[in-house]
Parts: sequence; C-alpha cells; structure tokens
Amino acid sequence: MSTTELIITPDLDEAGIAAAVDAWLLAHLPDDWRAAAEAGDRAAVGTLLADEARTTDWFTTLGESGLATPSWPVEHGGFGLPASGAGVVVERLQRYRAERPERDFVGLALAGATILEWGTDEQKQRYLPPLRRGQELWCQLFSEPGAGSDLAGLATRAVPRDDGTWLVTGQKVWSSYAHLADVGLLMARTDPTAPKHRGITYFLLDMRSPGVTARPLRQMTGDAEFNEVFLDDVVVPDTARLGPVGQGWAVAISTLMAERNGLSGRPAVGPGESDRLVAAAVASGAWDDPLLRDRLVAAFVAERVLQTATVHSFARAGSGAPTAEGSIRKLSLAALTETLGELGTEIGADPAAALAWPADGPIPPATHAFLASKTYSIAGGTSEIQRNIIAERLLGLPKEPDPEAALPFSERGRT
Amino acid sequence: VFAEQSAPVFDRTPEQRALREVVRALLADRAPVSRAREPAEHGRRHDPELWAVLAADIGVPGLLVPEHLGGSGAGLTELAAVVEEAGRVLLGGPLFPTAGLAVPALLASGDDEACADLLPGIAGGTTTATLAVPTTWRADDVAVTADDGTLTGTCPLVLDGADADLVLVAARGTAGVRLYAVDGAAAGLRREPLATLDLTRTMAHLALDRVPARAIGAGWDAVLAARDVAAVLMAAEQVGGMDAAVAATAEHARTRRQFGRPVGAFQGVKHRLADMAVRLELARSATEWAAWQRPGAPEFRVGALVARIHASEAYLQTAMDMVQLHGGTGFTWEHDAHLHVRRARADHALLGTPAALRAELAPLIAGVAA
Repeated sequence: MSTTELIITPDLDEAGIAAAVDAWLLAHLPDDWRAAAEAGDRAAVGTLLADEARTTDWFTTLGESGLATPSWPVEHGGFGLPASGAGVVVERLQRYRAERPERDFVGLALAGATILEWGTDEQKQRYLPPLRRGQELWCQLFSEPGAGSDLAGLATRAVPRDDGTWLVTGQKVWSSYAHLADVGLLMARTDPTAPKHRGITYFLLDMRSPGVTARPLRQMTGDAEFNEVFLDDVVVPDTARLGPVGQGWAVAISTLMAERNGLSGRPAVGPGESDRLVAAAVASGAWDDPLLRDRLVAAFVAERVLQTATVHSFARAGSGAPTAEGSIRKLSLAALTETLGELGTEIGADPAAALAWPADGPIPPATHAFLASKTYSIAGGTSEIQRNIIAERLLGLPKEPDPEAALPFSERGRT
Repeated sequence: VFAEQSAPVFDRTPEQRALREVVRALLADRAPVSRAREPAEHGRRHDPELWAVLAADIGVPGLLVPEHLGGSGAGLTELAAVVEEAGRVLLGGPLFPTAGLAVPALLASGDDEACADLLPGIAGGTTTATLAVPTTWRADDVAVTADDGTLTGTCPLVLDGADADLVLVAARGTAGVRLYAVDGAAAGLRREPLATLDLTRTMAHLALDRVPARAIGAGWDAVLAARDVAAVLMAAEQVGGMDAAVAATAEHARTRRQFGRPVGAFQGVKHRLADMAVRLELARSATEWAAWQRPGAPEFRVGALVARIHASEAYLQTAMDMVQLHGGTGFTWEHDAHLHVRRARADHALLGTPAALRAELAPLIAGVAA
C-alpha cells in the first residue's frame, strides 16, 4: 500500500475534494474490491462486504484517513467539511462500495453529531476514535412501549446512587441492531416530578452492562433486525451521562435532527432506485404497458426532485446545524419509498413471482422491498409527526395541544 | 414562507440577490397581486411604466442576451429569480412571452443574423415579442404553412398575441417546421383577443393570410430546446405563485378562528398545509437545480422536464388547497385564491401537460428509442 497523502480542507471545492478522495482510494482500496465495484459485479461485492476480516481492515484504514467522518473537526479525525463537501466524500466512497454500512448510521450520523455537540473532552476521546474506525456498533434506546410519537413520555428511570452512579430500569423498543451493539444512545427519566420534557437525562449506555437484555423482534418483512431491550437495574457510571442532568430532551433533539437530515440520502442528483426499476421494467417488457410506464416516470420525477431538495438543503446548510426542514425530505422519502416498493413488485416479467416462490427459496428482493417500504413513514418520527413539525416550525401554526406537557411526569394520566 | 431559509441556494452572488430584491420591491409597489386581474377585468394588457422599468432600466428581457447584442449575458438563474418574483404577484403582460419564450427561441435558433437584427430591440426594452406554437408543442399540430416568404394558417392560443410587437410563428415549409419572424402590425395578420381562464395573462387567436415573414435559423429541435429553457422559467414562475399561495394560506390558518382556536390548530388543516409546504420546497429545489444546469447539455432537458412536471402538478394542487383552506371566502370572486387556480390550470397545459412531458421523458430515461 502506498502512502498517498490525503489533504482535504474546507476551502477545497467539490471537484478538488472528489479528486483527492479518488486518488486516495486508488492508492488504498484493495485491487479486487475496486475491480468488483467498477465492474458492477454485485455478487463479488456482496462476498467482499460479507467478509468481516476484510471489512474490519478496510474500515480501520478508512477511519484513520478521516474519510469515514469528513464533517468531523480535524482534531477528532475529520476534515471539518461542510455538509456539501462531506456529501461529496460519501458519494465518492459509494461509487466503490467503500462506505460504512447502513447499520453504522446510528453511530456515525447520530452518536457522532450528538457527542460532538454535547460531549466532554473525555467522552470525545473515549467514543469518537472507535466510532471513526468502525470498532463499535451503536444503537438507539429512545422509544418505549408507552412512548412512541410522544417520545418525551418515556418511563425508563435512572436513579442516582450514593456512589455517583445511576441505576437504570425500564424497557426500550424498535432498537435496530441492539442485539449486536456495543453502545446505546439512551434517554431515561431522572426527575419524575418535573414536566415530562424537563426530567430526562441522556446517557451513552455500555450494552455489555449486566442487566441489559436485547431480544430481537420479528418485523413485517420477516427480518429480525430490531429489538426490544430490557434494562433491569443496570448500573451506569456518571461519566456516561451526555449533557447536563435534566437536559436530555435538548440533547435528543440534536440526535433527532441529525436523523431526519441523514435519512434522505447523499446530496447528489443522478441514477437512483427508480432508474433501477425503469431498467428492470425495460428488460422485462413491463415498460411497454403505458400505464405502468407513466407511473414509473412519475416515480423517477419524484426521486429526482427529492434528490435536488437534498442537494439544495446541503448547500444551504453549509456547516450549520440541521433544521426542521429535514422533515420535508423525510416525509417525501417516506412517500417515495412506498411508491417504489409497490412498483417494484409490478415490473417483473412474471408479476406473480412477487406473490409466491419456491418453498425452499429466499423471499424475492422486490417482495422484501415492498414489505420494507413502510419503514420510513414510521421510523425516525412518523409522517404525521413530520407534518406537525413542518406546520409548527416552518409555517408557524399552533402547536399540538398536550394537556400533560406542563404537568409533573409523575402526575400524567390523571387529566 | 420559510423565514430563516428564504434565500434560494443558487442565488449566491450579491448581484443575484440584489436583482431579486430590486424586482421584488418594484413588483410589490407597482404590481401587487390586487392588480393581477386587470388584464381580464379592464382589458389592460399591462402597466407600460412598469414594463419600462423592468425592461429598459433593469434589463430583464436582456438577461439571457449576450452583451454584444445589447443584453447583460447573465444566466438562467438570474432570469428565473426575476420570473419567480413575477409569479409571486401573478404578473402578466409581456415579461414571460418576451423574456421566457421569444428570447430563448431566438438564442436557440443559432441564426446569428436574426439574433443581431431582433435581439437588441428586445434587450433594450423597445420590442416586445412572443412565440406562436401549438400548446401541445408538437410539430404535427402546427397549422401554419410557409410559402414564398409568407405565412398562412392559424395559431389558436398565443400569450400576449394581440399586442406583442414581434411574433415568432412556427410554420411548416418545404424544409419542415421552423420559426418565422412576423411583425405584429403586418398586413394579413388578424389578432383576436380571447376570454381567458387565467385572468392575469392576455391571450389571442392569430389568423395569418399571406403574412410576410422572415425564416429563422434551425428547425423544430431548436424550438424544443427553447421550450426546455421556457419550461424551467415557467417552473420558476410557478414556484413564485406557490410561495405566495402557501404564505397566504398559512397566514389565514394562523389568524382565522373557529371553535375557539386558530383553524391552523386542527390537524386536518395543518397537515394539508404541511403538504403544501413540502410541494413548494421540492418545486423550488428542482427548479433551481434545473436553472443551474447548462442549457443544451443532456441533463438540462431531464432537469427541465422534471422541474416542470413537478411544479405544474404542485402549483395546481396548491392552488386548489388554497381555496379549500380559505373555505367559503376562498370560493369568492373577490379573493385571490381563484387567480392562482386559474393560472395554475392554464400553466399546467402551456408548454406541455405533465402527462405529455412524462411521455417525452420516458425514452430519455429508458435509454431506448422513442
């Protein structure tokens, strides 16, 4: 491996960033990986990405270079790039399937942004380097059986103990990869006498702590990637507290904003999922059906429009903090995903193949994508909640009434 | 509408921002939306003094025109910003037909001589112009024939057609369909003003009987190339209209009270308004992206069609929602909401319907022959 020096600074233009990343990839990405990606050989790329020893090596190299975390400050191993420049880095990596996998989204995008904003120096030293190198997997412990859209109604308790540690008890749900994760972003109630938004504290929970049990939940797709998590008298050191006691809701807003902004994809306008469906429809002959064709073109338009909105938003945001405007893209993505999921099952040479398949065979990808297409209209805040956010924060309409908002949490349910 | 983010992203230079601000202030002063219905209600084509400021002083019709032809050689982004401001107040008159249709058509023609003869007058604000093509923008639908330097036939719907000084007419000659320049005052040209769905723009039916005409440049492909530029500009105009519609509707929802609350407190209202804001933001992004591409590049046509398809559908839905959320008041003649409905519906068909544009987009994205 050569040691091509990687120099990326915030004043570099997008073409300059792309060239620097490409040159570095040429020097560092293993040849067979590059060849498989360039040839568009899905099977070969799939085999490579499934080889944990190789991906571990690669993510270490990538993390050391700074390219896994381009928007992070230089002192924490990033390049301090604005969102637009960081988007270019991700886009170049994706060309070679060299980016960090989707399951690192909670870590890189959510934990990273939240710790950079709220963490102490010690916490940044402890959590950011392994995050950068892909050595720790993160999960989110926000939702609860009784706190979904009304997230601030969470009931998991964290009680201070005499030795300065916290004792955490409760139940979380919908936590993707919690059964594999090393660290969890946890919100717990530390002051039940305060109104619900004010009695919450945010912790970075070591998922290996005694008392943490993650039980996979089977989703409507048949997969079991998310979990319910039981927290039974888990002892959490105070060094794992992120932000001040009682300020957990404000810390969580940083996480939620990063989530909405991160979901609608890379800031680039170009071939996407609709292009893939169009190509498949042309190949199968479904494209010859004028009604189906019109729906596919409409989906293409919707996807391109959403891409331009993402570019627009990245360019506008610069290095600034994400805004409620991310809800617009999140909402659009949810609708588009459902449309594409539905179309995907209609464009095969034999559409019946999406309905039934050999008993010993895997579920067809289009059928799986259709079932998964409800993901974004629920995960990360339902579409109904996103509409409330858009209406309240961007249009200035009245906030939703919440008779419990000003009550001490312990008195909720009595109204 | 979006307080902290109203400056569109590709409006980057101070000059571009200044241009938008100047035009916005001028239109707010001289052409508020309360005057938008004058073309239909008072038979008033436009405010000539306003046009003099826009055209001669600010140089709007010359924005796309190169400097050596009397323009400023600015880009589509600049003109789109101006047109968006015009859309915000539902401005009619010669602005769009001249700057949005005729100028792109002349530039796309590649006919240097015609450009040298015709563009300086347009850029200088002394000539208004328009384009007479079928509303389907299909060469097969052209109903004017060229013979021995004269044109004969009809063009059923031409923006500003009764008054424009110069009419660029699509006509079929021996070498196929191309544009011809016709003097608005030429003998044999009959221009009949029409009653219009869109109360804010004048339209006319043109009948040509051996009208002297000058052939211009290339064929139908050049007309379609100009259509792409016009599509981006009309999308920008639609964004302006939508922005005004969303802002007015949000204001109404914040202030109109029923059941002891502002109606905007009800999710039925709130969520419809949120969807309006989403469509607007997407239309703005797609339009600015399209305006930012280089005309003539392959991605330009795709970007233009994408922006136009979305903006046309978005504006119509937004205008209908504006009526809905204003209730009975929104259904009255006095209220501005129906001006948006009328313009949005007319725009939906001008320059090609969304369905027709999707059919045009289909072979481009499938990589197969039409």
